[in-house]
Amino acid sequence: MSLDLSRVVKQITEMVTRLKTGRRERLERINYAVDILRRQADKLDSLKKKIALSKTTWLVAEPEETLDRHVPAQDTPSDFAVIATDGSHIDVDRHHAAHCFLINIGAVVLRYGTSPDALLDSQPRVYFDDADLMIASPDGLREVSVEGNLLGVKRSVEECRRLAELAHELPSGSIALGLVDGSLILWNLEAYPEFVTETLLDKGYLTHLEKIHRLTKDKQIVVASYISFPRGTDVVNALCVALCPREFVDSDRCTTCVTRECSRISGVRDRDLFAGLLEPGERSALFISPSKIQKRYGKHVVYFFYLRLNGEIARVEVPRWVAEDKTRLDLVHTLVVDQCRRGQGYPVALSEAHEKAVVTGADRDNFWRMVDESLVEEHLPVTESEKSRSKRTRWI
Amino acid sequence: MSNKIGEVIESTTTGFIAEAYELYDLPPFGSLVKITDPSAEIYGIVCQAGTASIEPGRRPIARGKDEASEEAVYQTSPQLMKLLRSEFTVLVVGYARDEKIYQYLPPQPAHIHAFIHPCSPEEVKRFSRSFDFLGLLVTANAQVPAEELIAAVLREMSRVQDDPRAFLVTAGKSLTTLLGGDYQRLRAVLGRLRA
Repeated sequence: MSLDLSRVVKQITEMVTRLKTGRRERLERINYAVDILRRQADKLDSLKKKIALSKTTWLVAEPEETLDRHVPAQDTPSDFAVIATDGSHIDVDRHHAAHCFLINIGAVVLRYGTSPDALLDSQPRVYFDDADLMIASPDGLREVSVEGNLLGVKRSVEECRRLAELAHELPSGSIALGLVDGSLILWNLEAYPEFVTETLLDKGYLTHLEKIHRLTKDKQIVVASYISFPRGTDVVNALCVALCPREFVDSDRCTTCVTRECSRISGVRDRDLFAGLLEPGERSALFISPSKIQKRYGKHVVYFFYLRLNGEIARVEVPRWVAEDKTRLDLVHTLVVDQCRRGQGYPVALSEAHEKAVVTGADRDNFWRMVDESLVEEHLPVTESEKSRSKRTRWI
Repeated sequence: MSNKIGEVIESTTTGFIAEAYELYDLPPFGSLVKITDPSAEIYGIVCQAGTASIEPGRRPIARGKDEASEEAVYQTSPQLMKLLRSEFTVLVVGYARDEKIYQYLPPQPAHIHAFIHPCSPEEVKRFSRSFDFLGLLVTANAQVPAEELIAAVLREMSRVQDDPRAFLVTAGKSLTTLLGGDYQRLRAVLGRLRA
């Protein structure tokens, strides 16, 4: 039998009641956090020093501009292009006979201005070679299977590869924004061995970002990633450091802390903070994302800012070569705002790239059926797990 | 032939649905079109046309509130040209084989992906030498009223004739026989013949 909704409905009512009671307290926390941010605005250097000295288990954003900075978007250029890529995949299924996975990359090029045009395209690829299915250490002693979270990383690499290809095809002199969904930081790699990071990040993702950067010689091209409804607390964590009465924060000593100043803003997310600070179209100050993996990014080290749109606060990430150049940063800001305006609140190029990439449940079933049928045609054994078979043929 | 306007995406013995190559570039309602299959030329009448989202689950939304013109809407959102598609439905009214035209249903339906061409004035003239095809239109199960369709076909065909009036008079006589005593229907068609 499917989910018994009559048993769920009472629990939903309880949950909503809980959320309702905590709402006023939450608003007070948010207001206090905004207040702290404003008070810290003129203490950028001392805050940066304190953050540098602190040892925390939680991630603390490094502010690069005055904390309460809010910048309006510039005018949109008359002629420009927006390229976006997005991917989806069919993961390795150990219940099926063939060991393979599929990545489908959706890509969009939208040209605006004197000769408006659109390219919408998708490139599915089935990976079945051992070299694609496994990442081996240089000495050949260890190997990691590309599936689950790691396949998600591989997909991001392919999205960036396609973005670089499309950026390359733009005519010289073009003004363009390259956009991907989610983060530019491949956080998930932190859980894998060094040789995996080397393959997917150093020799993969970063080389594609580098290809885009090289195009800046004859094209005004910028790259960014867009995170809708972000859950991050990196900036709020920076405020926690500011609030700490000690000279610097040491997470190990937090248990003995009596004042617990920072608890007054706990539970506040960065997006709550900036919803109280930014006007529609404005961007926040720039921050650097702190993370171990960022040390490998070099000139592509990821900076971010929050952006207030009509409907939500979004987080936009850019590599250092964009962040440190005012013209490029302004271009990202302006074109992302413009994309959201054209896309009813979400970048239109990204939503179309997603539409081209999406792989539905029915597509997945069809894919595996085609694989199995092809195996049968070639008289190859189609051994399927009993679990998979029992899910398909339900009986009483 | 390079003047193809679309291709078949759904086909039966009595008709087919075609996708236009260019958005909104649709053949006129009631016009004669043809398919050049390897075995035979199939003739048909455009009886319905429309434009909609390429995906059934994604409906277009109003976008022009702050735009000056319809053209500006498409310029602001260039992806629309790729997300919308124009289609037209064609009723089969005959076929040609070995240079001879037969005004009844062909032995085989059109292939999917068969190209559709508009008929040249000469082809229309040649096809409209006989009015036997009107029988197929009178009984056709089209989505538009048969009187509207027949009148549109005759108006379209009369345009290329040397003597359009004489053509319409002859067509009217054929219709009188076809519709028998149904005076109301005949009146409905004749009343719509003035272009």
